[in-house]
Amino acid sequence: MKQSRKYLDPVLLSKLANMNLVAKCAVEGFFSGLHPSPFHGFSVEYSDHREYHPGDELKFLDWKIFGRSDKLYIKQFEQETNATVYILLDNSRSMSFAGEGSVSKLDYGSFLAAALSYLMLIQCDSVSLILFAERINKHIPPRSKRTHLNVILTSLQRNKPTGRTKLADVLHTVAETTKRRGLVILISDLLDDTGDIYQGLNHLKYLKHDVLIFHTMDHQELYLNYEGLIQFEDLESRAKIRTFPQSLREAYRDSVSGFVDEINRTAGASGIDYCLLDTSEPLDRGLMAFLAKRKKMM
Amino acid sequence: MSFVNWIFLLGGFAVVGPVIAHMLAKPRYRRVLFTMLRFLHAGQTESQSRRKLRDLLILLLRCAIIVLIAMLFARPILHTRRGPEEGRSVYYLGLDNSMSMAYSDGSGSYFGKLVDSAVDYIRSADDESMFNICTLGSGDWASDLSKEQALAEVKGLRIGAVSTNISEFFSALKAARGREHSGDIASVFVVSDFTPNTLKQLIGVEETAAVENVDYKLITSSKPINNAAIVDAGVNSIADGKLTMNVTVVNYGQIEQNRRLTAKTGTSKSTSIDTNLSANQGRTYQIQIDTGFGGEEHLFLPVELSLSAGDGLKEDDTFYVGVSLPARKSTNVLLVDKGGGEVFLLRTALNALSRANSYETLNLKQVLTNDLTLSDLKWADVIVCSAIAEYLGETAGGLKDFVREGGRVVFFVTEEPSSEAAKRLWDEGVLAAIPRRFFRERAYLEPRPCNEQSLGIDNVAAKVLTNYRVDRIVLTGYFDCEQHPGSSCLWRLQNGFGFVYLKRLDSGSSVFVNTSVDDSLGALTKSNASVAFCRYLLGQTSQIGEYCFGCDERVMLPAYDMKAASDGRKQFWVETCDGRKRRAALAESLLVVSDSDGIGWVKTLSKPIRYAGVNLPKGETDMTKPVVDEVAKIMHRMFTPDRRQDTAAAELLPEKKQRPVWKMFAWIIILLLLIEPAVANRLRR
Repeated sequence: MKQSRKYLDPVLLSKLANMNLVAKCAVEGFFSGLHPSPFHGFSVEYSDHREYHPGDELKFLDWKIFGRSDKLYIKQFEQETNATVYILLDNSRSMSFAGEGSVSKLDYGSFLAAALSYLMLIQCDSVSLILFAERINKHIPPRSKRTHLNVILTSLQRNKPTGRTKLADVLHTVAETTKRRGLVILISDLLDDTGDIYQGLNHLKYLKHDVLIFHTMDHQELYLNYEGLIQFEDLESRAKIRTFPQSLREAYRDSVSGFVDEINRTAGASGIDYCLLDTSEPLDRGLMAFLAKRKKMM
Repeated sequence: MSFVNWIFLLGGFAVVGPVIAHMLAKPRYRRVLFTMLRFLHAGQTESQSRRKLRDLLILLLRCAIIVLIAMLFARPILHTRRGPEEGRSVYYLGLDNSMSMAYSDGSGSYFGKLVDSAVDYIRSADDESMFNICTLGSGDWASDLSKEQALAEVKGLRIGAVSTNISEFFSALKAARGREHSGDIASVFVVSDFTPNTLKQLIGVEETAAVENVDYKLITSSKPINNAAIVDAGVNSIADGKLTMNVTVVNYGQIEQNRRLTAKTGTSKSTSIDTNLSANQGRTYQIQIDTGFGGEEHLFLPVELSLSAGDGLKEDDTFYVGVSLPARKSTNVLLVDKGGGEVFLLRTALNALSRANSYETLNLKQVLTNDLTLSDLKWADVIVCSAIAEYLGETAGGLKDFVREGGRVVFFVTEEPSSEAAKRLWDEGVLAAIPRRFFRERAYLEPRPCNEQSLGIDNVAAKVLTNYRVDRIVLTGYFDCEQHPGSSCLWRLQNGFGFVYLKRLDSGSSVFVNTSVDDSLGALTKSNASVAFCRYLLGQTSQIGEYCFGCDERVMLPAYDMKAASDGRKQFWVETCDGRKRRAALAESLLVVSDSDGIGWVKTLSKPIRYAGVNLPKGETDMTKPVVDEVAKIMHRMFTPDRRQDTAAAELLPEKKQRPVWKMFAWIIILLLLIEPAVANRLRR
């Protein structure tokens, strides 16, 4: 892992007690590895000047300074987007699953939500956080103030897994209650009926929301690397299955792969961005996907 | 298919083990909380059925391995159809593994030569031949062996501490011949040293066996026989703590023997004397051992008598005898009669017994039945009642207490006993049997009172009594008696009626003799057995006892003082001649050891320590060379070429060829053992 990426390691982040620190650490760790910075140059309010370098767009040249001093400078502007971002974080019991040696999906999702919130509030976007399971458990309305970050991070820190996943109902509720269209970021394991999920997502798309799905899954959920005789117990339904995982590993992987492919394909067809996140991997993939999406929205 | 040792097939029941383990074993599942259960359902049914199939397959494989191992041990033989012209050679080998075969003349032992001869004989036979091997000493049969199996069997033979037993070989041979097929060609091959003991047995066999070929190998030495043996030993006397023993030494060879005879016990120094015996001479030597015995306490000594080394058979140079030296005591015998002088002969016999035994003093006192008092009962150790008279019924309670405290009461019965007195004594448990109906008929005694049941009364006394021809003694009448539930019949008449009954009551005992003093002792006196009979009736002897047995006899250790220390136990641990621990059953006053296994000492492992010596049977060590012509004559008389008499049963059997298939079984087992883990692992995936 590169030095800068170590701050994105979910296991390392889980050891930090303060969610604010988690968010800072993740975002700044992420950006220290990127060049050039994507923050500057897309707003209308003046911020600063810098020397012209070949390749810079000529429309940002300050001709007045050139007239006075005969030197080329580029004008820089503070970003001022006013976009509204709704972060939907699934906190059902299935999200509490953590494979051996990794953080739980809920923790991973919380870190991601914290980092995204931090990132967006720096950009002066309005951020709303919605925690849900069978229904919406907590709804923090969108705000763009920097102090709003504390509210979000406190909610994330106090967040506990509860109930079963009923994603479709929640998506419909979100679609019906949001006043402004914006970017809806869904962080979930999507363990619900896929048909219902598509209906909910289409509802959001119908209301002109941009949707980005972070499908968080544990490494064991993806690959079923257990050995020996095992009694699996469902975290939500408490159903039990006794089996040799070795004997059905291939069939399982095929099924999971099919499930992921189907979501990816269907989401793509609906113009929804989809990103599968393995909780054993650093957060940068999620942040990168977000930035790509954000850039598209500009 | 048939099996040579079918008993091993019972080992197949061991499949119960894996089956039960299979039924009881529950897989241990690790509990894991998970989320994606709906994706597991797809493969789940297949996985469960696969696991069940795997378990079943593994179980079947393991059961098959166990059954095949059991069948392998049972030595399977496959019966296949034989062609009409095909004949099979069947060999019967009689190999002498008795102790005389341990003789060595410097050029190797007789037994080594026997093994070489047998191996050469087997190797010269066809590969398809079948072999039956019998050891003439231990009498073990190994039947239906292939050539390789026969060679392995012969090479595995060992000498047994036993004497030759020809009759067993002969009868088993005849039985085996009956199972043969009509085309079979039977050959007998006997290898032995043909000692006088063996020849005597061969001469004693009256039947003949029909075989096609007979051969024998006389194992003997080219040098003169050099062997002396101690054949018997017994106590002569004990005085001033010195035990004098008579030891009989015989020179069975042609070389003069100058050997040193040594006697030693576990407690004293050894004593030695020189012996000198010319060829074929036997002499009895007296040897004295200082035991330090003062007569105060019962002493039990293991006495080992041995000749110094110097002959070809060392196993017969040592003789083991356990000697019992009881504490000196006097026994008070109270004779109770009706005043008719009927105990005169009994008194005479007891007096004679007292005189004959310097070791034990018998104090005799005679009272009339009606004058019997409690003080008399207190004085007496043994009470002999000449009849069941009226007054005895009134003293039944006193007699019961007398017996319970360790006394012994002997009841004779006249033609008309008092039924009232008998009933009261019976009810009190003092009378071992109750007389019912009198038969005025002549009756004879069974010749041997010393059977297993009668051992309890006194083994030594019973043994001594068998030295007399008591089967010639006639009684003028006897009763049909009803035996008391707690009593046992020790001796019977030849017509089956009980003669002597014994009942134990706590530490004492009661004896019932089914005849009057006159009838029994009057007749017994004439046979000179009266003294021995009195000794038998008086019970536990305080005479010096000798405990030495032949290795073909059942060994018995004295245990009359063990019962009190046994806490009701019926079995004790003993060490047998091979140094192994075995259980011995307590039968009345003796510990009976079923298998002494060799020669040497049999001894108890817990206190009180008792010894019995186990020695070679008499005659087995007589190594006199046989006359070759005589052996040939006997062998050809016993085994005749005419087999018509033996083939009647054989012709009924189908014409089949037998092939040992144990090798195939062994390979199958090895294959299954290799497959088993592979199947288990393969199905786990």
